Amino acid sequence: MESNNGRISGGEPALSGDTHWRQVAQRHYEPDRDGGLTTPIVFAIAEAADVSPSEVKSPPLYETVDVAGIEDAFFGSSAGTAPRRGTGTVEFHYTDYLVKVRSDGWIQIYEPTDTESL
Amino acid sequence: MAEGRILSSTMSDDTKWDGRDDAHTERSSAGDLPPREILELDHVYEALGHPRRRYLCYTLLEDANWSLIDLATKIAAWENDVPDHEVTDGQRERVYVSLYHAHVPKLVDEGVITFADESETITTAGNAEQVLTALAGMGATLDGAQETHARSEMNDGEQ
Repeated sequence: MESNNGRISGGEPALSGDTHWRQVAQRHYEPDRDGGLTTPIVFAIAEAADVSPSEVKSPPLYETVDVAGIEDAFFGSSAGTAPRRGTGTVEFHYTDYLVKVRSDGWIQIYEPTDTESL
Repeated sequence: MAEGRILSSTMSDDTKWDGRDDAHTERSSAGDLPPREILELDHVYEALGHPRRRYLCYTLLEDANWSLIDLATKIAAWENDVPDHEVTDGQRERVYVSLYHAHVPKLVDEGVITFADESETITTAGNAEQVLTALAGMGATLDGAQETHARSEMNDGEQ
């Protein structure tokens, strides 16, 4: 995707197995703007699928992954003097996509591809 | 899911009571024990544990049935401190997405509401009364003049 602005390091998703994955969308989580991690994840999936966010319906993200748990682990509480700052990446599958949520706030959407190029 | 929760909750309660009897032998009669309702507040805390779910439950005090889009509009209006008709499509969409993908299924899980996929409407369910009673007890009122105050309290309450 053209929006790769250099803050993303390389590396294949750990869940790739024998499948080759190509990143097709990314979005940075801005807690103040987004209000919660669910919204930017769904917006990123919508961008990958080229639909509007409200058209991303099935299944609800809630049934796929504990978004609140990721939010707590990586982004801590908005109040308080010493928010928790776990580091790492959580990966999960949503329909055909592989979703990566990084502790630096980047949400990356991958789709499977048969070619090794790109 | 709800049945499983109730079952496991009941079982763990039994365990707790056994432990309590050992640790607090001075509590000889069941009459000294806290009301059972105190131990069954999980639904209340889970349901009300996020500002948007408190908004959502707050709207249920007003009406037991809502379309998801109307609910998203109302919550976006509160969050952005504007009248309903001034909510932008973007504001509404962000709230709608978080309701659809996070907060509505959570409240369905907790037995507070049901959600009809086809019509995208929510309706109060079995645990709603307990949750709404608690919410009302926390100071929520339908007095419009107090909505702003209630909202600031809700935001302060976020962890």
